[in-house]
Amino acid sequence: MSQPSPLITTHDLSFCFGQRQVLHNVNLAVPPASIYGFLGPNGAGKSTTMRLLLGLLPAPTGAVRLFGHDLAQHRLALLGRVGALIEMPSLYDHLSGHDNLEVTRRLRGLPAARTPEVLAIVQLSTDAHRPVREYSLGMRQRLGLALALLPEPKLLLLDEPTNGLDPSGIMEMRELLRHLRQDLGKTILISSHLISEVERLATHVGVIRQGELVFQGPLAELQRLEHRPAQVVIETDDAATCRNLLPLDLGAATVLAPGTLALPYQSPEQMAYLAQQLVSAGQPLYSLRREQASLEQTFLDITETTQRA
Amino acid sequence: MNAAFPALQMPSPGAQLRRSFSSDLLKLRGTAALWLTLLSGAFPVALSLLIYYFKGQYLLKPGQNPWQAYVLQSWQTASGLLLPLFVVLLTSLLLNIENKASAWKHLYAQPVGRGALFASKLGLLLGLNALAQVVYAGLLAASGLLLGLLRPELHFLDHALPLGPLLVLLGHTFVATLGLLAIQFIASLWWRSFVAPVALGLGATIAALTLMRWEYISWVPYAAPLLSLRAIAHTQSALAVNGALAASEWRSLGWFAVVLTLGYGLLRRRHEA
Repeated sequence: MSQPSPLITTHDLSFCFGQRQVLHNVNLAVPPASIYGFLGPNGAGKSTTMRLLLGLLPAPTGAVRLFGHDLAQHRLALLGRVGALIEMPSLYDHLSGHDNLEVTRRLRGLPAARTPEVLAIVQLSTDAHRPVREYSLGMRQRLGLALALLPEPKLLLLDEPTNGLDPSGIMEMRELLRHLRQDLGKTILISSHLISEVERLATHVGVIRQGELVFQGPLAELQRLEHRPAQVVIETDDAATCRNLLPLDLGAATVLAPGTLALPYQSPEQMAYLAQQLVSAGQPLYSLRREQASLEQTFLDITETTQRA
Repeated sequence: MNAAFPALQMPSPGAQLRRSFSSDLLKLRGTAALWLTLLSGAFPVALSLLIYYFKGQYLLKPGQNPWQAYVLQSWQTASGLLLPLFVVLLTSLLLNIENKASAWKHLYAQPVGRGALFASKLGLLLGLNALAQVVYAGLLAASGLLLGLLRPELHFLDHALPLGPLLVLLGHTFVATLGLLAIQFIASLWWRSFVAPVALGLGATIAALTLMRWEYISWVPYAAPLLSLRAIAHTQSALAVNGALAASEWRSLGWFAVVLTLGYGLLRRRHEA
């Protein structure tokens, strides 16, 4: 087996804030050159895990390994190879974007050429000498990413990097991360509470729920978990009336909203038949469509149904 | 397993400290902390200059060396009340650069140890404190010379500028600020707020000035700057300053050592949640 060694591994990683246990035996394995989407609802333990991976919270010896080395023993040396963006980037508003990068570049003892290089990567070169207090949220987030990229890290840890971004900002960030992996060979661990944010980006996914890792594997594997049948969704005026008028056809349907019905999908003929029946019953038919459960639904199922169990 | 990855390299403690300091210096650019350091000394000097310019003839006896009275009069206001407040404000302003940017999580995720970050900030604070006091003393000396030109009848130019005694006095005042500086430094790092340590410092300074006649006042670090004035010999002749450290100054050094050691021990264990 020539399986490449994971860049990040955690071994039965647990953590307590006082009496409250927030992580239970988490075993992460982030393969090299992957974009690993670390997903879970708010408060599931994502941020705590990210902070443990950076040594901001203490992890016991042997629990966290980066690049094959134990973090507890080699923290500073390992941090030299990691770029991180934890939620909102830490920016000095009174300094320019350029000087903000210089602060971290000097702190890490990196060559002066890195500052213009990362400014170019995140496309902030033209705004580099404006004070950061004038930056938009998207620009701040990109500058935060530039800070993480300064040391040319093999590994990027990004905690909710699209928090607070507008849709175009999210798209820009997504393009940037894809470029970093494909063209620069970075491994990226990105946490998010929205699967829609990472599903077009991630190669691998880990799902955390109430401090437990409930799924980990390639994205395709998560997609295969989805085995629920497709549904027919009907948009009309009054769902309840339709059901009463057509008890044979719609008796099994569920009312999703006052004007929306859903029932198990069978065949294209079923769709045509339903349309005909509704129209003959004198009911308006605004829309009739077949819906496959989305990855989002699968994600919600993993994080919610196990919660009830 | 490790064979797949290159060997680890860690920056030396010296390199960490150098890098932190260079980065801290850059952050100072255009901040209130820097302006306060450079300008705050001018305020008490300007007051003394105006007082002596307009009323100097009533404050000096004929034939008296004016330097001693002039320095004592200015130093009393400047070091007794203004200096503790200056140190309180400077410490909070300097650390607020990080607090405002919520930068600690970022700094602690860099390949620089907490010890280096702590030492670099402390070094910068001590440097700014010293710089402000030197600027003040320099301006005070220059204002005396200026008075000599503007009001020759006060005889500032007829007597030598007491540079030596001024430097000794400066040393006393600097040592006297160290105890309260350490307390403010740790308080600002611990609370990560601007207002709370300033409130502590204001309250403590006012309490210290109120309790000046208490028999244990020399243990109170916020009173030490005013107490260090006792090093000035009360004579009518040239300015003379006793070189030996007073009890309050030794205790200021003690506070400095103890507070920083305990504070660093506590801060090192702090979780970045």
